Amino acid sequence: MIRDLKRVRNIGISAHIDSGKTTLSERILFYTARIHKINEVRGKDGVGAVMDSMELERERGITIASAATYCEWKKHNINLIDTPGHVDFTVEVERSLRVLDGVVLILCSVAGVQSQSITVDQQMKRYEVPCIAFVNKCDRSGANPAKVAKQLKTKLGHNSVLMQLPIGLEDKHEGVVDLVAMKAYYFEGEHGERVAVKDIPDDLLEAAKEAREELIDAASLFSEELTDAILEESDISEELIKNAVRTGVMDRQITPVFLGSAYKNKAIQPLLDAVLDYLPSPLDIHNEAIDLDNNEESVVLESNFDKPTVALAFKLEDGQYGQLTYIRVYQGCISKGDTLVNTRDGKKIKAGRLIRMHASQMEDVEEIPAGHIGAMFGIDCASGDTFVSPTINYSMLAMHVMEPVISLSIVPKDNKAQINMSKALNRFTKEDPTFKTYVDHETGETIIQGMGELHLEVYVERMKREYKAEVTTGAPRVAYRETITQKSLFNYTHKKQTGGAGQFGRVAGFMEPCEEDFEFVNKITGGRIPTQYIPACEKGFAACMAKGPKLEFPVTGVRVTIDDGAFHAVDSSEMAFQAAARGAFLEGYMKAKPVVKEPIMKVVIETPNEFQGSCMGLINQRRGIIQGSQEEGVMSVIESQVPLSEMFGFSTVLRSATQGKAQFTMEFSSYKQVPQSIAEEIIKQKQEEKKA
Amino acid sequence: MLKQDLNLRSPIEKIMGIDNITNSKFGAVLSRAGVGKTRFLVQIALTQLLKDQKIVHVSLDDSIGKINLRYNEGYTNLVDSIGYVDPQKAVRLWDDISLSKVGISYNDVTFDTEKLKDYLKSFKKADLPMPAMMIIDGLNFDEDITDILKKLQALNQEFSTSIWFAMKTHRDEAMAKDGYPVQLETRKDLFDKALFLQPVDNKIQAVVLKDGNRTDQSFLLDPATMMLVE
Repeated sequence: MIRDLKRVRNIGISAHIDSGKTTLSERILFYTARIHKINEVRGKDGVGAVMDSMELERERGITIASAATYCEWKKHNINLIDTPGHVDFTVEVERSLRVLDGVVLILCSVAGVQSQSITVDQQMKRYEVPCIAFVNKCDRSGANPAKVAKQLKTKLGHNSVLMQLPIGLEDKHEGVVDLVAMKAYYFEGEHGERVAVKDIPDDLLEAAKEAREELIDAASLFSEELTDAILEESDISEELIKNAVRTGVMDRQITPVFLGSAYKNKAIQPLLDAVLDYLPSPLDIHNEAIDLDNNEESVVLESNFDKPTVALAFKLEDGQYGQLTYIRVYQGCISKGDTLVNTRDGKKIKAGRLIRMHASQMEDVEEIPAGHIGAMFGIDCASGDTFVSPTINYSMLAMHVMEPVISLSIVPKDNKAQINMSKALNRFTKEDPTFKTYVDHETGETIIQGMGELHLEVYVERMKREYKAEVTTGAPRVAYRETITQKSLFNYTHKKQTGGAGQFGRVAGFMEPCEEDFEFVNKITGGRIPTQYIPACEKGFAACMAKGPKLEFPVTGVRVTIDDGAFHAVDSSEMAFQAAARGAFLEGYMKAKPVVKEPIMKVVIETPNEFQGSCMGLINQRRGIIQGSQEEGVMSVIESQVPLSEMFGFSTVLRSATQGKAQFTMEFSSYKQVPQSIAEEIIKQKQEEKKA
Repeated sequence: MLKQDLNLRSPIEKIMGIDNITNSKFGAVLSRAGVGKTRFLVQIALTQLLKDQKIVHVSLDDSIGKINLRYNEGYTNLVDSIGYVDPQKAVRLWDDISLSKVGISYNDVTFDTEKLKDYLKSFKKADLPMPAMMIIDGLNFDEDITDILKKLQALNQEFSTSIWFAMKTHRDEAMAKDGYPVQLETRKDLFDKALFLQPVDNKIQAVVLKDGNRTDQSFLLDPATMMLVE
């Protein structure tokens, strides 16, 4: 692996589902000579794209797990992470963004900025990842890259600037005009592998000059040299423009927009040049860790190979030879045989076989230096773990992980399936922090939890295919919560003094709604409850939060304040105060008007205009609230909030209502109180379950 | 409580009466560009939201983002007009009532009453309360839109949803002989309520053109907030 980090790029490709991420990745690998044949997503050849290494991904035409791969372009190493486009898999996107230095945001030249692009953009903002945009599918009917560049401004707030102009659009799309070099690029050969540089066609010359002016104007904000050159009316070199744009990109102040068609092999090579020209190298990026030995102070990590090693495991895969752990090294260097410490559990590991990946093929390497992405074999760890040299105790900042909102019971068909299912679940929970599993002690069923129906469906499929674990699934269940709606007082005495060692504790105070999941406030004065029993009181209250007294759903949003109590010199104990707190909770809770809350999802439907009314109707029928509907060209975008419990099977309903022409995305928004009529149904259902 | 207070402060209560505005079939707010038709219509719609009614705001000019912004502004102006209100309470109330507002953004080409009909039908189908009011902003009344108005009239009859329009007039145009702007004159029978806004000495004068015995009454509004000038 090259050690000159100026020649390294760690980039991701993010976009809305079906924008052509995987197709673009395939083309990049083809032009960088990593593959010798182009396979299409859902290709006619039945092979499927190289980046979609999971069988399921190839079948569905979506990328589920990010495949990391590396390639070389003009003496630079590019580590490429292909990221999933569906919202249900955003944890994958977030994990990828965590380890990337830059992103190519792909947009469809017909559909423009779509709902998922907005989610991905928010994630990029969260991790401050610089990006360039690529408007793909310029060969499609209705392609309008200028509109998309404008939408980047209006919808995502990017300071977008066109770096190219298209030479023809739709079926006449032949190439692009480079506004920096003022040259026209055409792509010849069977797969567009030969770039023919020609003069700009006469009919585009004026438009190109104008667009170049705009580009220079936008870039001049980031370079005094360029501003001076404009004022002095001297020649403006390509280098000057590129440097200015690069500075803007690094600060996330400008988003250069490139155009082309990955499917038709148009303008991928200039995009690769742009990755080198405008996206940052590991040296340009500021990375931090927290020092666990020093009060969790932030420490700046340096891409210095001689410093102690800091690396982050961002993805796990079960391979032929055991667990494959993808890592990004931020500082130091991991060589074969090095001892590293997993800061999560303090366990020491020895780096064995080190590799770098090309989707499903691997190449052995001797070391993974800072700034590079690679993979280790045979390491037992979870996704998100930090590995460091034994001399330091740093942790990379925790990733933003959401709580699951949907659950499903799964039952293995036989004993063999049971064993395989356990293996699979063990793997999946390590791979994906938003996928959780537990055994319901009352029913004995294994429950899996995740971020959406598709999320869980994919894992059930993977269980069957990869682990041969045949399982039957129950109906999906929504993760309801309970909360209180008003303040209430409690005063409870736990007293068992009927012989032998007694138990005594009195706890008094009040509970009230709050924003946090649970808060405990101690306002005991004068030693009415001795200090050593306060933690027991808190523990007693906290224990009640797991299962609400109303419907046995977890309780959230309760602040408990204790301000009075009593103890007995002999009979009071931690256990007695825990029991008193539990009693006090039950007493106060039912008086505090408890209600059930349900997860509300943000649902965005994109539909051809003619189906707008019926799509809005579908939302109405599902207790949904339409926030707005915007028509954009031939498509309408309907934004709404719908209870998750009403969304099961929605994709089928939507398909039949729109002749399969509409698509939707769904992500968790908030918890809201369930209407009384629905709450009654839930109570009934719970009672029936109990009887059964 | 805050809901009632806000509605009592609403300029609509004084000018037209809150219960009165949904009694109409078609209502119109007229003015030349930039005087405040949309902002006044937003105040009309807010009165219904504060009565826990649903409203649909259809715009042929504004994006959804802009529609939302206009409602946020309108609500803030209304809250500010009653002096001190617990900000958290005001925000909670807005979070609550704004869910009853549906913004739909079309352009001239894609505006289609059939889509609105499909949408309104779905309320019936799901046994949900119908929107009390529909605001239609951006229809070009300088063109022949008889067909569209006929279809909207049918919607009004079928779903009992009153419809309020923004009607753009022009500075250089003389009033028709009835004293109505020409855009209204030719369709005056369709509209049972109409209000004309015009700038007068740094204020905006709201003149009731059509509304039973309220006709010809006039009021002064603050151009910054569209609240009544005391």
